[in-house]
Amino acid sequence: MTTTELSGIGVRGQGRPARVVVASFASCFGCQLQITNIEQHLMDVLGQIDLVYWQLTDSTPMPEEFDIAVIEGAVTTEQAESQLKELRSKAKAIIAIGSCAVTGGVPGMVSRDFYERPSQVYPKVPHACGKMITPRPVSAIVNVDFETRCCPIDPYDFVVMLQRAIYGSNKLATTRTLCSDCKRNETSCFFEDGTLCLGLVTSAGCGARCVNLGRPCLGCAGLSPSANLDSARQCCERYGVDARAFDERLQLFNQTNPAVEDSDR
Amino acid sequence: MARTSLTVEHIARIEGHGNVSLSIEDGAVKSVEMNIVEPARLFESMARGRVFDDVPAIASRICGICSSSHVVTDILAIESALGVTVTDRTHALRELLVYGSYLQNHATHLFVFAAPDYVGEPSIFPLSQTDPDLFQGALGIKALGNELCCAVGGRSVHPITAVVGGFTAEPKARRFSELADKLEQSLAFACKTVDLFRTFPVPSLATDGEMLAQFQPGAYPVCTSPVMELVRDGVRFDASCYQDYLEEYSQPHSAALFARVRATGLPFMTGALARINASWDNLTQTARVAAAKAGLRPPEHNPFMNNVAQAVELVDALERCAALCRCLASADGFEGSSAPVPYKVHAGHGVGYTEAPRGALIHDLTLDDQGRVTSASITTPTGMNLANLEADIELLARQLLAAGADEDDLRLQVEKLIRAYDPCLSCSVH
Repeated sequence: MTTTELSGIGVRGQGRPARVVVASFASCFGCQLQITNIEQHLMDVLGQIDLVYWQLTDSTPMPEEFDIAVIEGAVTTEQAESQLKELRSKAKAIIAIGSCAVTGGVPGMVSRDFYERPSQVYPKVPHACGKMITPRPVSAIVNVDFETRCCPIDPYDFVVMLQRAIYGSNKLATTRTLCSDCKRNETSCFFEDGTLCLGLVTSAGCGARCVNLGRPCLGCAGLSPSANLDSARQCCERYGVDARAFDERLQLFNQTNPAVEDSDR
Repeated sequence: MARTSLTVEHIARIEGHGNVSLSIEDGAVKSVEMNIVEPARLFESMARGRVFDDVPAIASRICGICSSSHVVTDILAIESALGVTVTDRTHALRELLVYGSYLQNHATHLFVFAAPDYVGEPSIFPLSQTDPDLFQGALGIKALGNELCCAVGGRSVHPITAVVGGFTAEPKARRFSELADKLEQSLAFACKTVDLFRTFPVPSLATDGEMLAQFQPGAYPVCTSPVMELVRDGVRFDASCYQDYLEEYSQPHSAALFARVRATGLPFMTGALARINASWDNLTQTARVAAAKAGLRPPEHNPFMNNVAQAVELVDALERCAALCRCLASADGFEGSSAPVPYKVHAGHGVGYTEAPRGALIHDLTLDDQGRVTSASITTPTGMNLANLEADIELLARQLLAAGADEDDLRLQVEKLIRAYDPCLSCSVH
């Protein structure tokens, strides 16, 4: 499994606040909403930047020049693909936010046999759907400089990533899996009672929020670069969990990951 | 012949991607199209073949702002298919979760999306300087909605704890008491919000469409009744036979399916205004007084009044949630625990129906004997509203043109009307 190469180069140093645009592709808008959910600190965060375009909150049109593009959503149409390339050509740094943008997320679930699917939903596919293409994460099309993972993002994780995009940071993304967080938290393991959990292979960083509330991990942070899928399947079998259920669960947020796509075939 | 076309590309301050275009010939409106270009994520196809207990988590991702509603509605559909009966405590927690999204949604819509139109700003952010009290109050209500969703669902967007049969975790009694205090403290600001929105001048307009809302005797229901009501006709029916009364249809200019009343072909409106028309008598007393003071009484058919209706619902939701929290905090408050009840998996068909913040939401699922989804259909409030919105835009444009409005004014009023409907295009296409 390969890690996305993140540049870590900040955009600061032009004698003015970084100009930021927020753009969105196929998504639930929940990650943009999470940015507004910084609430009492929202104006402090916005005070550090020059927010020049955010369609969700502002009717001002997108300018020609900016420094940072914050991008939510998976790419699912040809139009979106060319818009993304245009954003890349203008932005000095791209921050991909949320599972849809980082791993293809839930929209990526339909990537297998994609072209058979629109007709399962529409009696006649409307013209307004545009030229639909197999859903992919942002990094499958352009280089991404910074990522905020999970579905939805944690607002404060985003603030950290925004800081790094402004000031630069060569901090590497973690390769730990979620299991290491549960060990640290001293929580009991779902596998003990034969319940499937994707903590075995999922990137750590969320603090095991779901597990702490009694729900197994669904893998929304994406596969860890050091995930060992074969070993995880064997582990499932040892605990009486069907390895096919493990593979099926991986499709929820990681269907477009080459390691998962390959195991489908 | 003078032909004009008026287009607003990428309508701002709504959830999702959409354009509107009007074609005008010799001062007469020839056509109106809500061009919904939000990417189709194909959720019905996604759900197909999935084991039922993964489906609420998938359905949640239809919409960030009303994720709680999608989760609860999907769970209701599955429970109906499997014949699962849950405890009163679980019902109460679900109600809180749905109301939490009302507070989030209405506060976001009223202040972040709608208000800038009426104060003449491109966004809410200048308000942080010009009226810091209002700005902080608005964010405060939104934050409280998030806090409620976090306490009950574990997260403000895409709840974690709500599952088929109950909840996997629940906050402590003390937490419920604290929440009740905070909810009560916010009432004054919510009443002020109703007063504020009633002072914003809106065009007089009366929709010709039907109104659809949940009905329950003696209640202002959001997720506790399976009965749907066509308010103007007074027709009531069980949500499980919604297809006999409502139909979806496709339009080439929209990635979202439209909807209409099957018997009459009439478009209809769903959402806060429809609910107020259906259940005005059962609003909490403070909310009813606030509504009356704002001049909002049934029958009210001006879609612009949906903003005031949402503000009234903020008052109503705060009082209701405070009462629910007090009851959940007390030892003998609700029967039973919220721990998931046991159930057997078998084949079945179920319809889940709730009132999401933006209106009626239907999840229709068929399961095979392994509990895998064989077919799914999701009908969202915004999808239902689109046909009525187009009709209302046409009506409004006619009125404005007759009164000699110029193009800029027409454009602004059309945008305001669209935002008054509080459309969520990501929901509508899904």
